[in-house]
Amino acid sequence: MFRALPMARVTLWFLASEAPDAALLLARHGNFGPAPDTGEELRVAFPESPAERYRETYQEAESRLAKILEHCGGPMPEIPADAVAPGLGELEEINDWLRQLWHTCSSVSENEQRIQEEQKRLAALQETFTRLEGLNLDLSRLFRPRGLLDARLGQVPASNVRRLKDALQLAGFVLSVFDQTEGQVFAVVAGPRGGGDEIGGLLSQAGWRELPVPKELQTHPEQARNFLAAEAKRLEVEYGAHCRLMGENVSRFGERIREIRVQLALARPLAEASMQGVRGKRHLAVFSGWVPKRDLKALHADLEARFHGRYQMSSRAPAPEEAGHIPSLLVYPFWIKPFVPLVKSYGVPRYGEFDPSLLFAVTYIFLFGAMFGDVGHGAVIMALAAFLGGKLNWLRVVGMCAGASSILFGFLYGSIFGYEEVLHPLWQSPLHHAGEMLVLAVYGGVGFICATLLINTYNRVKAGHTAEALFDSTGLAGLVFYLAMVFGLRAVFTGEAFGTSSAVAALLGIGVIAAFKWLESHAGLGERLLVTFIETLETGINLFANTLSFLRVAAFSLNHVALALAIFTLARGMDGAGHWVTVVLGNVVIIVLEGGIVAIQALRLMYYEGFSRFFGGDGVEFNPLRLEPGRGQG
Amino acid sequence: MSAFLNTRVSIFSERLWSPGQYSALMRTPDAEMVQTLERQGLPSLAAGYSSQDSLSLESRIITQLLEETLIIVRPLRGAARQFILYWTERFDVSNVKTLLRAKMADERPAAVASRLVNMGPFARLDLDSLVHAEDETELFRRLESSPYADIVRHALRAFEESRDPFILDATLDRVYYEGLVRRAKSLDSQVGRDLGVLMADLIDRINLVWLLRYRFNYELPAAQVYYLLVGTGYRLSGELLQKLVTQPSMEAVMAQLPAPMAGTLEGARSIVDVFRRLEGVAKHHATRVLAIGANALERAFAYLILREQNLRAVRAIMRGRHLRLPVDNIQQAIGPDLMGSV
Repeated sequence: MFRALPMARVTLWFLASEAPDAALLLARHGNFGPAPDTGEELRVAFPESPAERYRETYQEAESRLAKILEHCGGPMPEIPADAVAPGLGELEEINDWLRQLWHTCSSVSENEQRIQEEQKRLAALQETFTRLEGLNLDLSRLFRPRGLLDARLGQVPASNVRRLKDALQLAGFVLSVFDQTEGQVFAVVAGPRGGGDEIGGLLSQAGWRELPVPKELQTHPEQARNFLAAEAKRLEVEYGAHCRLMGENVSRFGERIREIRVQLALARPLAEASMQGVRGKRHLAVFSGWVPKRDLKALHADLEARFHGRYQMSSRAPAPEEAGHIPSLLVYPFWIKPFVPLVKSYGVPRYGEFDPSLLFAVTYIFLFGAMFGDVGHGAVIMALAAFLGGKLNWLRVVGMCAGASSILFGFLYGSIFGYEEVLHPLWQSPLHHAGEMLVLAVYGGVGFICATLLINTYNRVKAGHTAEALFDSTGLAGLVFYLAMVFGLRAVFTGEAFGTSSAVAALLGIGVIAAFKWLESHAGLGERLLVTFIETLETGINLFANTLSFLRVAAFSLNHVALALAIFTLARGMDGAGHWVTVVLGNVVIIVLEGGIVAIQALRLMYYEGFSRFFGGDGVEFNPLRLEPGRGQG
Repeated sequence: MSAFLNTRVSIFSERLWSPGQYSALMRTPDAEMVQTLERQGLPSLAAGYSSQDSLSLESRIITQLLEETLIIVRPLRGAARQFILYWTERFDVSNVKTLLRAKMADERPAAVASRLVNMGPFARLDLDSLVHAEDETELFRRLESSPYADIVRHALRAFEESRDPFILDATLDRVYYEGLVRRAKSLDSQVGRDLGVLMADLIDRINLVWLLRYRFNYELPAAQVYYLLVGTGYRLSGELLQKLVTQPSMEAVMAQLPAPMAGTLEGARSIVDVFRRLEGVAKHHATRVLAIGANALERAFAYLILREQNLRAVRAIMRGRHLRLPVDNIQQAIGPDLMGSV
């Protein structure tokens, strides 16, 4: 519960022809996390990457399938228990079939887009025609092929017009805008005939789209209108035919697509394993990765049952140089699980590092209750949390525990829905013992920070960084400095002298930290001085700023009472129903607003005052091969 | 924040190479190259020195630049942050170009993926999904829903009409640099004159080199060349560019240039020479801004420009060494300005 499960480095040898099935078995087993071997030996002995082609083909096929499923998707079919993974040949066949199908789908989709664009252009043409009609212009003369004028009607993005005008001027052409809609400008470009070659490239560059002016449009307005109506009808018919084709495609290829989804799900384990480096030589394929130590025997048994000796397996304990790469498999009792997402949103514990989930769960709930202690408000939060479901299901237990903690502290503070005189406090009311509460909060902070420094010392030792554990600001030296300062300052605040022993211990602690920072920074003299000075200074400032941060625990418990008092004062100014409406609405505001703020503040205390001191959170989550569909079809 | 950035940039500036360091690197024995590169603060280049793959060298250089940019951008906010972030996006634009060309050539996704620049924390494109686009049409559709939709939309329109990859590349570059100019201009009220100087060096150089190349190498019509240039308000104004594109020869273009550009380019006979001389001037200005500039953003931008020049010179040296070229040839490739002989 406080550390990740012990892992073993496993290397497996198979016949290359059986690699897809081997990967499939490992995925079904569900406890093999592929990872490249950090040593050179395996890479030299097995220089080939036998599954690379397989992976490439899988990725291409998977990507095509995902796109096709956008057109004709459906639920993922069941994967039969005895199904075997496709070989490279079968996978390539699948990929080819999907390519052809995608071309069909894509051309259908392109066709749909083309029809829609044509419809838009037709609408624009209709509008253009209406405007040209108003200009009383003889289009047939303007666009006469043998005239002296080279005139073109078209549309261009509005943002390009100014520059296009300037550029056209250089070629002796002019651009005249006659309409604008949706960022597009409709214009006529005209210049001397024969200069067209010079402006062809320029117009392309500017995104100019010629608007063909059909002969019909250049004749009688009535005929032109008929032509436009006929075009609209034609496009409507074409679109209807296109929709029918889409429907046919879905029913025609549906069965084969379902089969392929299963095949690709079976091929996925080898493709995924090869991303982490399946090595090989001639007829051998080598998988390397991590397996929880407790599952080694079971894996061995599964391999034996499937491959009957046609494999080899070796395992060893992780080497010290692999420390940063060993994945963390964390197993939690059911009651901590709901808190884990909150810990993981900060980071994943490194292998061997102290897992703060339990500490987080207990401290977070304690802090919430201490800051928001009220029997009534706690009961409402608990009841509301009990109804959470769907995507917020994980928050249900967290909310109920926070509510329970709030009830408990409500009894200790003697507070119910803000009323201080209904319940007799089992301990003391924050409002009447404000000074004591603030001092207690600071002591709580000191205890919490000492705990984080000790945990960090343990983490550093476990990671093999003994020097950091002893001499860094978040290790023992930091703890010595911090405690010496706390004792010294406590003496000063109680009217005594700082004390020689405290001063010596504090100077010793900070001196060791500065020396360590100096030795650890590898840079030029300027940067080294800057880093040592700033980081040492930061040590002192941070430790005390973080301690004072805990004052908010007491401050919020006071704030809770003060807010309730403000509401009661308002309510007292009203009679009958007004009084009770104010009390109820005020309590709703307290629960929603203050409850939300306290939830965030408690989280902030955990992350910034706690985790940042001892929790690297840079671990790698154990991610075993699993039998599941690819990301595009999941 | 600006004090922090100023300090950070000053510390970074110690990493910039001097001409002597280039000469030393050219003459370093092979066995000592890895240690030398590590000593110079380039561990990622040292790590891949034995690999002679030029693509991976390019990608490691970009990674190094992005890592330093990440530190520089951290204390920046608002328009200043947007400007530096946009400066990194040119690597993404080059990814878009690679993808489009690869799709036109119908290359396999895995082959294309290996040529794309890994933008790390600056990544804005889902490259994995883009490499699996079936053809350029599908790629365009996907890019149209990416953060580069605006840049790509211009290129798409131009490409649809012409189907010419040159037009595609030119449009992407033009629209990208116009975006950079817009972002720089939006900072006018927050920064001093130095950002304008650095931008003018960059944009004027790009415009002049493109103009000469399109007009006299590719022999494009004047109107089209003008359209392909970056619209700016720097030393080469719109009116001047209109005049320059209609000149019949490179010499005639040079004769119309304003001072001090005309003086810098006096006697330049080739486009490469023009580029080198203007880059030399840009280096001189950036070095001055870095040394005595008052604004942290301007100094940071100057540093990034110089650092990129540095790393590209180191790349040239490493490639030259892999190809067993004589030292003189490598020096020529780097240019006299970086070697300190000008």
